[in-house]
Amino acid sequence: MRYYKTTRGNGRYIGRTASFTVYSDSLDSPITVGERVTEAAPGELVFNYGPSTGGMVESARIAITTPGEIIRSIRVDPTYKMRKLKITGLALDDAFLQIERINGYHSSSYQAAFLKAAEDALLPDPNQSLDEMLVLQMELERIRSHMNVMERLCEPAGFGVPYHQAAQLREEVSRLISSIFGHRYFFGVHSASHSTVNFNTGILKQSGDIERRFSALFESLQDSKIFVNRLQNTGKIDKHWLVGPAARAAGYRYDARIDSPSLDYRKYGLTPYIEEGRDAFARFLVRGNEIYSSFAIVNSIITDGSPECAKISDMHGSGTGASRVESPQGDLFCYLSLKNDKVEKIEFCSPSTSNIIAFEQSMPGNVFTDFHFNWESFGIWISEAGVSIE
Amino acid sequence: MRNSIWFLKGLRNGKKTERFPAADPGEPPLWPSVLEGKGEAACPTNALESGEWNAGKCIACRRCVPQYLPTGNQKTYSLSQVAPRLLSRSFYLYQVDSGTCGACNAELLSILSPQYDASRLNIFLTNTPRHADALILMGVYTEGMDEVISKAYEAMPDPKLIIALGTCAISGGVIGKAPVLSSKAVVEIQGCPPSPYTILEAIVEAKGGVK
Repeated sequence: MRYYKTTRGNGRYIGRTASFTVYSDSLDSPITVGERVTEAAPGELVFNYGPSTGGMVESARIAITTPGEIIRSIRVDPTYKMRKLKITGLALDDAFLQIERINGYHSSSYQAAFLKAAEDALLPDPNQSLDEMLVLQMELERIRSHMNVMERLCEPAGFGVPYHQAAQLREEVSRLISSIFGHRYFFGVHSASHSTVNFNTGILKQSGDIERRFSALFESLQDSKIFVNRLQNTGKIDKHWLVGPAARAAGYRYDARIDSPSLDYRKYGLTPYIEEGRDAFARFLVRGNEIYSSFAIVNSIITDGSPECAKISDMHGSGTGASRVESPQGDLFCYLSLKNDKVEKIEFCSPSTSNIIAFEQSMPGNVFTDFHFNWESFGIWISEAGVSIE
Repeated sequence: MRNSIWFLKGLRNGKKTERFPAADPGEPPLWPSVLEGKGEAACPTNALESGEWNAGKCIACRRCVPQYLPTGNQKTYSLSQVAPRLLSRSFYLYQVDSGTCGACNAELLSILSPQYDASRLNIFLTNTPRHADALILMGVYTEGMDEVISKAYEAMPDPKLIIALGTCAISGGVIGKAPVLSSKAVVEIQGCPPSPYTILEAIVEAKGGVK
């Protein structure tokens, strides 16, 4: 492992896997966290939302303890749709098919975390051209993911026009991804027998047009007092263990793109966008402004880069590697141990696990109508939190 | 003043809805789409056996290239039954995520975006199974969602049908096995994940076309 040491915790806290406590610079032994129980006081009720209900994109049970209006506590159970992925014992290319599908919406982030961990385990030097490809994928994914959060924030506000305009832009980004990579969710991009991408001449014009119209929408939403009022002071949280946009919205300069060596972002001159508001509106602002920096990186790679797909079939041997990348929702950590070309052990620490805890802790004191705004502002994906990887 | 003119901003944006399915898809993805080719090829889910392509098992991994190539044709769905005529003017769908990666969920919601605008074709999502005409089943079998899916189906009024959306819900794909109720699906929308074009056309056909 080039990037990680198994010592006592150094750096900021990222999260936990089955075997480790993950810090930004090191791995430590696992810590045990007791189960949290909230009992309803007299006059309170526990309202169960889900696991299958309208308004939620994925299945999760959310137990809301409330005396009627104010939410006193909230618990999210992401285990109803718990998938059991069997990756141990598989060859790298077979394992990769399942890695892509841990969270399909952020497939590129999982591809990058896995490939960089495999590279760390098996190859002497990082492949710069592969880095460019992974950065290109991840920044396009970030643009779409942040637009999706914006769209989901407009829906409970009853903002039909901006909701549909955001949906339209998100769909255009999906089509842009499809025109470059052949698949709207990047599946099969690094497949051994068909590793090509298509940079046609219209891509820059297309991305420029999407960015211009996004900018108009983003500015209009910030001008809307109704929209801003729904988000300001909703779901305030300020904890040192926050990750991704939630951390940057609370004033923390946490971003794996600048504080993890796994993927080389130095040449893009990225400066994380920081807000101090700590609430859903600050998270909205962080996401919106990050779309601009992501477009700049995408344009830079398309103009000057020479991205190449991974050659998974060339990765052979035994070794241990780890990586940490910045998925659209925060730090994504991967630990990978390989023996004779096969996966011996694999563990992930997903940002949604951290964001679910942040959501739970930010909700008490808010009223029931704030629920959807706050939930969507964290951009949580249950598929990456409720998954068992063996 | 700028705050109160969303309506005008909407008008200024112009009409973005495509004519699909009356016209060809505007920008269909290459993967997944109908594969054409012949001979033996590597396939991790046995979607290619004896030279036959089984779209319900295909995960668009591209390992079969160059023996098999994508055509861009989005008609990767099959129907064994259509909904009764009375549902064709108003077709309400209730979606259940049994165990997805999130991609099928996102593609299903994409049919509501302006490019596709499912509501113009009398297709709507409902928040409760009590108002649903069809159950959209997505993802692989998971223990926790098995009973939830059964109860949702029981709660739906007759006539009702099940639509299995995505390779996981049809065959389990590369992740696991299909949900128990998917054996009762009369519509299979294949793909990993199926594109909004495929989903929209399959649902339009399932409700008996456009009235």
